[in-house]
Amino acid sequence: MTVKPRSLPFILAVLLLMLHAPAGFAASARNDHPLAPDFTLPTSSGPVSLHDFRGKVVYVDFWASWCGPCRQSFPWMSTMANKYAADGLVIISINLDKNREAAGEFLEQFHPPFIVSFDPAGKTAVAFGVDAMPSSFIVSRTGRIVFSHEGFELSRAAAIEDRIKEALASDQNQ
Amino acid sequence: MRVQLEGPKPPSRLRDTLHTAALALLLVPATAKAQSDPGDRIDFTSLFYGEQSRTQIFEPVVRFTHLQPDGQSFSGQLAIDVITGASPSGALPSGVVQTRTTSSGRTITSPAGQIPTAPFRDRRVALDGEWQKPVTRFLTSTVGGHFSREKDYQSTGVNGKISTDLMRRLLTITIGGGYSHDTVFPVGGTPAGLSDGLVVHSGSNAKKVENILLGASRILSRRWMVSINGTRTFESGYLTEPYKVLSLMNPVTGQPSGELTDKRPSTRDRTSVLLSSVYHLSDDVLYTSYRYYWDTWSVRSHTLDLKYRHELDEGMYIEPIVRYYTQTAASFYTVGLVQGTPLPEFATSDYRLGSLQTVTIGATYGFHLDASPGDFTVRAQLMRQSGDSSPPNAIGIQRRFDLSPPVNIFAVVVGYSFGD
Amino acid sequence: MTRISRQVCRLLITLALLLIGGCATVQPWDRDLLAQKQMSFNPSPMLQAIDAHIYFSKEASMGGIDAGGGGCGCN
Repeated sequence: MTVKPRSLPFILAVLLLMLHAPAGFAASARNDHPLAPDFTLPTSSGPVSLHDFRGKVVYVDFWASWCGPCRQSFPWMSTMANKYAADGLVIISINLDKNREAAGEFLEQFHPPFIVSFDPAGKTAVAFGVDAMPSSFIVSRTGRIVFSHEGFELSRAAAIEDRIKEALASDQNQ
Repeated sequence: MRVQLEGPKPPSRLRDTLHTAALALLLVPATAKAQSDPGDRIDFTSLFYGEQSRTQIFEPVVRFTHLQPDGQSFSGQLAIDVITGASPSGALPSGVVQTRTTSSGRTITSPAGQIPTAPFRDRRVALDGEWQKPVTRFLTSTVGGHFSREKDYQSTGVNGKISTDLMRRLLTITIGGGYSHDTVFPVGGTPAGLSDGLVVHSGSNAKKVENILLGASRILSRRWMVSINGTRTFESGYLTEPYKVLSLMNPVTGQPSGELTDKRPSTRDRTSVLLSSVYHLSDDVLYTSYRYYWDTWSVRSHTLDLKYRHELDEGMYIEPIVRYYTQTAASFYTVGLVQGTPLPEFATSDYRLGSLQTVTIGATYGFHLDASPGDFTVRAQLMRQSGDSSPPNAIGIQRRFDLSPPVNIFAVVVGYSFGD
Repeated sequence: MTRISRQVCRLLITLALLLIGGCATVQPWDRDLLAQKQMSFNPSPMLQAIDAHIYFSKEASMGGIDAGGGGCGCN
């Protein structure tokens, strides 16, 4: 505790000004394409497995009712599901709430047209290495994770949509 | 949690509520809403503060916060203090009725054996602004500024801090700093220190306050987080209270025979270390904090603060509060000066720089009404301050008097918060 | 700085290091309780500011602003 702060406010002021300059959020795109860990989870209408959708592009989304950005991602995912269903896109959202009731209240507000599965123990999240809420993964038609994204922001959604289109196109002939 | 994601915002709703709120006067912070929901919110609070036969304060505050979907937030706050009443002048009680004239020409009479007080009336207007911005996913910066003005005091300052999340967001480190330039322009001019009130000049006096902050908070489990925060504050310039005085005591009888003005050093370095814990029980939350403080005026203090938030039905809660504070006296604090002895370099009889304890008990009640879209908060606190009633250096008749009668303070804050 | 103050300071810094270095972990999807608004070091900043203002004018100490942290951990 011998810091003399005479110059500190000025250094801080400069730092803060620099930090307030525009800056974007970085997405973590992975270069290697590991196989997506398979899972079988319950939904309100029976179990769902990732391997059931081999040959389709699967958008896997991890969410919870208490997560603010997840609320922004749901309407967007609904749009994506409707827009690209014919091209072979399937969205599986995995709810990680401990309390199914909380998830139910959330779903009441959105009525998503895509698959909602439940994993209160978070085993799938561990397998996918989820590091933030929400987290999403694009699984190619061959079952590989070709893209992953942490968090959700409407301003960055167009970039994710591009990656979905890319995945839908690139695997078409495989 | 109610969030409007799609569709146009209803600006008229907010305006209507503002109007209603202005009429209702009272307003406070929401509980059920996540902090990250974009939108505008308005908080109103009003403080009603009363000391037993001393100061009364009424302080309405209004704060507007705009949170953008990108995580940036802007907020502005306006506070107005209206202060009336009387505070201890620093002088000692007398065996007879005391009469003195203040710098503003008012005559004060103090009954025998009672701590003399000086009446005052002031109004303070304070403006605050803050801009918070997520710089990256793991780094947030905040810059702010303030301006406040009252009859004899003005303060202008800026501050900033940077917080970064580490270890998968289990650890948050914050560094920050601030600078404030204040001016003091005592009514009736600035008196010389340790004089009989001789005015040195009628202009203003500068005071600088610089501070730095270093903090770390750590999530220890799904229900528990703790933090440690250190602050250092460097004050320099005019740190004396121009209206406070010390009594000159007769060396034998202790009878006050005159008064000298207060004089404090022109620098003060202050350090505080705060440890806090927040623990989530099944529904309730326990807040605990301990602060250790010391400064170059030899004041040392311990503060222990406990709050227990008990959830009631439908998002309502009750939160009992207990706080204990104890401080040692500043090195130059004295009950009075002895006539005929050489004057010290610095001296004050301001009881706030003497040894003292404060005990606070209170509770906050949070609720909402069906007719109103926002959240109400009411906090009531009772504080009791006591000092050294019989200090060792009291002489003669002063030993008969209670030189630090306990002061009871009652403070109520009413608040209302609304956001969309 | 007095000797006692220095000792207290050292003790507190040691505590801080222990707390930071600890290996306790919480998964991102286990932050449901931490995401609640009341799980904050300062859930009511305006009330806290009013209290700080009262105590600052009635006592000789200052400081103890909470630096933040905790929360949802989203995005």
